Amino acid sequence: MAQVPVQTIHRDPQLFYWILFPITIVMVLTGILRHYATVLMASAPKKLDQKTMREQRGLVHGINVRGNFHTLSKRSFNARRDALITAYESGAYLKDPENQGQPPPNPLSDPGSMEGMMGMMKNQMAMIIPNTLIMSWINAFFSGYVIMKLPFPLTIKFKSMLQAGVATKDMDPRWMSSISWYFLCIFGLQSVFNFILGNDNAANQMAQQMGQMGPQTAQMFGPGVDPNKQFLAEAENLAVIDHYSVLDNVEDRLLKSIRV
Amino acid sequence: MAPSVFRSPVQLPPAEALELSKQAPAILRSSANTASTSAIGAIFSAPEKPEEWITYENLILSSLRTGDDKAANQCLARLVARFGENNERVMALRGLIKEAEAQNDGELEKILKEYDQILSENDTNIPIAKRRVALLRSMGRLSDAASTLVQLLDFSPTDAEAWSELSDLYLAQGLYPQAIYAEEEVLVLAPNAWNVHARLGELQYMAATASGADGGSYQKHLAEALKRFSRSIELCDDYLRGYYGLKLVTGTILKDSGKPAKLTDEGDFVLPDTKTIERLNELATAKLAEIVRHSTAQDRGWRGYSAAEVAAARELLSEDSSSGIVR
Repeated sequence: MAQVPVQTIHRDPQLFYWILFPITIVMVLTGILRHYATVLMASAPKKLDQKTMREQRGLVHGINVRGNFHTLSKRSFNARRDALITAYESGAYLKDPENQGQPPPNPLSDPGSMEGMMGMMKNQMAMIIPNTLIMSWINAFFSGYVIMKLPFPLTIKFKSMLQAGVATKDMDPRWMSSISWYFLCIFGLQSVFNFILGNDNAANQMAQQMGQMGPQTAQMFGPGVDPNKQFLAEAENLAVIDHYSVLDNVEDRLLKSIRV
Repeated sequence: MAPSVFRSPVQLPPAEALELSKQAPAILRSSANTASTSAIGAIFSAPEKPEEWITYENLILSSLRTGDDKAANQCLARLVARFGENNERVMALRGLIKEAEAQNDGELEKILKEYDQILSENDTNIPIAKRRVALLRSMGRLSDAASTLVQLLDFSPTDAEAWSELSDLYLAQGLYPQAIYAEEEVLVLAPNAWNVHARLGELQYMAATASGADGGSYQKHLAEALKRFSRSIELCDDYLRGYYGLKLVTGTILKDSGKPAKLTDEGDFVLPDTKTIERLNELATAKLAEIVRHSTAQDRGWRGYSAAEVAAARELLSEDSSSGIVR
């Protein structure tokens, strides 16, 4: 079987200095810039007014009682449960009790939630604009030729990814073009940013997108959630608890576990 | 543990607080005023650490305790330079310094008015609301302080610190059921805090031994105190206060075990049988003796106990042995 001869392409060594380094440096600098832009644009967390705070913490209080009921004696737990259920069902904790039973307001018309959306928009823009600019910059200047050979073999499928912009059928997929170096930088610079900016940086958009795709953090008090429904559900949760106490037989457990 | 500027100095004995506040000038000198106002400067200066600001806060507290108002004001100036005048925590710290510097009741009244003013502008400024409670308490207006705290807890019922303070306020007024209720709320928020379990046990014991407790509630309180102390030891098996309380409670129960056990409602805790109580008493006595012995000898791993608590434990033990001889 004939060996396939190793492909050699004679490249100008200057390619390395004039393309790889510039792209990498530009990517790092944009990351840093994006981090500081996000920091500067971040709006201060919105202050809650007393009624909203009461509504939210009232609910959290109920959740705490439900979660930690075992620390209480049966009598104290029952007292709390009765008080909380009555308050929840009558809407005593609601921000505006007269809205009880009405559908939640449209999140778009609520100025409070608009602000949150603006914040998200800002973040998205801080990602999209630099990416578009850099990609078009790379396409305009460095497209159409390969710049380096990867030190490991790859299958043919990688050709379309690594040799974007180089339409040569027989070239080994190990050769890569500048645009693929750009993609590698997008995915691979996270640790560099961690090193420069610290762990909680906003430089890498990939990390942010991962965060968005991940399990939706429970939007407990987000716009469009009807607090009254939450309270009623919580009242039901409290009502069905079968009480036991961690103090039951604690002295026997203690005598068993501790030897002098 | 050695006193550190990173830990809140609230619980420190006076000598250690003094030692800490003596470090204040050195710390203030060594760390330059790093809060840079320009954005460019912020990029190139070393990244700020949260520890720095915690240090300043703790230094303020310990310098105020030792009367070093100048250092406290310098620390406050650093915090103001970094976080601005209107930061809630900074406002509370400034109020604290003013309270400490006030010479007479008139000035305290004035500070109280300032707090009211701040709260009328922003009624969710929790640090200031808490300062107001503390000020009312230090002025001796306990019931005012308690009602203010109840208002705060109405819109923020998930604040363990506030519940704990409320419990203490009620206790100072002798309102045991209320104090117990508030302490239970702390437990709801921090279910595994062994010190809170022990504290609740102490409250139950106090409620039981206070005059006016009738037979049924006496038994009920003692039973729950015993269980609370047991739970506290179960969570932290060398907790001195837990053993101390357990010994005290079991001793009390054993002493008047002649009283007939009243039938209690379902839902209350019942006392375990006498044999178990005796074994618990023995366990607590043995453990207390062990702790006292090791900590007096300054053995490795037994050094964290507060001297006062060890002394109290020793006293309890010696009391026990002397009464044992009489019996």
